[in-house]
Amino acid sequence: MIGHRNQKNTRLDLILLALIFSALAYLGYRVTMQLQYTWHWSVIPQYLFRYDEQQQRWVANYLVLGLLTTLRLSIYAGIPALLIGLCMALARTSNSLFLQMTGRTYIELLRNLPPLVIIFLVYFFLADQLTPLLGLDELVMHISPQAAHMLAVFVAPPASLSAFLSAVLTMAVFEGAYIAEILRGGIEAVAGGQWEAAHALGLTRGQTLRHIILPQTFRQVLPPLAGQFISLIKDSSIVSVISIQELTYQGTQLMASTYMTIEVWLVVALLYFLLTFPCSLLLGRLEQSYAEKPF
Amino acid sequence: MSVVTNNSNEKQRKGVTMCNRIFFYIFFILFSLTATSGLFCAPFVQAGGLQQKIAAESVIEQIIHRGTLRVGMDIFVPWAMKNKKGELIGLEIDVARRLAEDMGVKVQFVPTRWSGIIPALIADKFDVIIGGMSVTPKRNLKINFTRPYYYSSQGLLANIKMTRGFTLKDFNRPGVTLAARLGSTAALAAKKNFPLAKLRLFDDEPSAVQEVRNGRVHAMVGSQPLPAQMAADNPGLLKAYPEQLLKEPICFGVRKGDVDALNFFNNWIEIQHSRGWVRQRYAYWFESTAWKKEM
Repeated sequence: MIGHRNQKNTRLDLILLALIFSALAYLGYRVTMQLQYTWHWSVIPQYLFRYDEQQQRWVANYLVLGLLTTLRLSIYAGIPALLIGLCMALARTSNSLFLQMTGRTYIELLRNLPPLVIIFLVYFFLADQLTPLLGLDELVMHISPQAAHMLAVFVAPPASLSAFLSAVLTMAVFEGAYIAEILRGGIEAVAGGQWEAAHALGLTRGQTLRHIILPQTFRQVLPPLAGQFISLIKDSSIVSVISIQELTYQGTQLMASTYMTIEVWLVVALLYFLLTFPCSLLLGRLEQSYAEKPF
Repeated sequence: MSVVTNNSNEKQRKGVTMCNRIFFYIFFILFSLTATSGLFCAPFVQAGGLQQKIAAESVIEQIIHRGTLRVGMDIFVPWAMKNKKGELIGLEIDVARRLAEDMGVKVQFVPTRWSGIIPALIADKFDVIIGGMSVTPKRNLKINFTRPYYYSSQGLLANIKMTRGFTLKDFNRPGVTLAARLGSTAALAAKKNFPLAKLRLFDDEPSAVQEVRNGRVHAMVGSQPLPAQMAADNPGLLKAYPEQLLKEPICFGVRKGDVDALNFFNNWIEIQHSRGWVRQRYAYWFESTAWKKEM
């Protein structure tokens, strides 16, 4: 089908390409020649990985550690966000007025506040009330060294656990609102006849959702849901304001220590791209396999 | 007949949706009100309890009980910065390590953005600020300060091309643009010494220095020895003025209402002063460049 499109480059394309390249070259010239900046690219690799003399092996240094924290943050926030989103979307489309109101209030409240403001509110007000309630600090203080090591590898170092959890919570809650809207759109897009047919067959509401509605919904919403997940990875950079040591924060720290502004941000941008681009490819493939499969 | 019933049905339905909408608004407003009032009241309710708690057990007791001293700081070269291995080094890091050693506890650094470091201390994200913080009356209204352990001064770092023939007075003119770090004493010194110049604030010092290099601002104000060291690294491009703009005492910051902590820290500082230890570390970080090997 795609083969019908004209794939040949015209002369206009070539001219445009040449123009774009010369503009880029000019920009590159400006940056290298006119910007008063001394480049120190050779120092960057040691901030990705370094050779540890005590352990006699290569270990990740803080840009890579930051990347791993970003990854953990995205995964741990993504799963509850999907669950919250699903619950709220179901509440929003349910027959009970109370549930509809709850769902709508949640979605409207969180979608209409900037994430940065929510993060500050949670970090400075709510987290202080929640952590003593859960007794987290006490718990973390008394765990064994092995458990502490496991915690550091899979979640966060015990010392920064409560900050990490408040970041995860905030991200899950506000991404949940966007996911809820996406899912609600998907549920409402399923033809009304499907509900009626299920009802006629004697299925309960739960059965209808599980076997009829949600499978169709997920096929519908996969592209926007995938986009939302990728934007969750990128949005995780805003928790750097509450000093979570993820990639962006490590970038600011490294820049403040070494004064290598441009190199650091270029490397940070590259690392984010390395994280999100494979996700895009993977989700593209998933979409394709869904599209090929019949209902 | 049937038309009439249809019509009245529709009216009824409209009435119901209208009703729903009003119900939703009331629900939404009530929910928002309870949520926000909860948020605002919580700290005040807590404050009454907190004061009693602090009187009963000082932060010193908490540190001993926990076995770790949590220190709030941010990256400032050479006060605190990351070396090749990703470890923190610097004058303030030395001071905090020595303090923890003398208390017989471990030290844990909590890197926090400078602009938000006082709210973070108040919100109990760490026990004490040891980060080269100078006392200003405005800061002192929010938190307590110990006696000074050394004095810092602010210096001016200028772009040579843009400021040929400038004396210090020439910077206090409309049309001159200065840069400084947001929330720092340097910003205050700039306002005080050069009220007529335009001031641009940045979240970190490298950005401010880069603005001077690029010639977008005439000069930046920063804590000594940064201007002197930057000028030494970039001869022909940057120039530091020898004048000390604002000499200020550097102290630990602690939460209010904790007499025991103040007493302990004050006496610790006094002991280190009399042994000449602070003076010796100051000379290493500020007057020599031997530490540059570690970067």
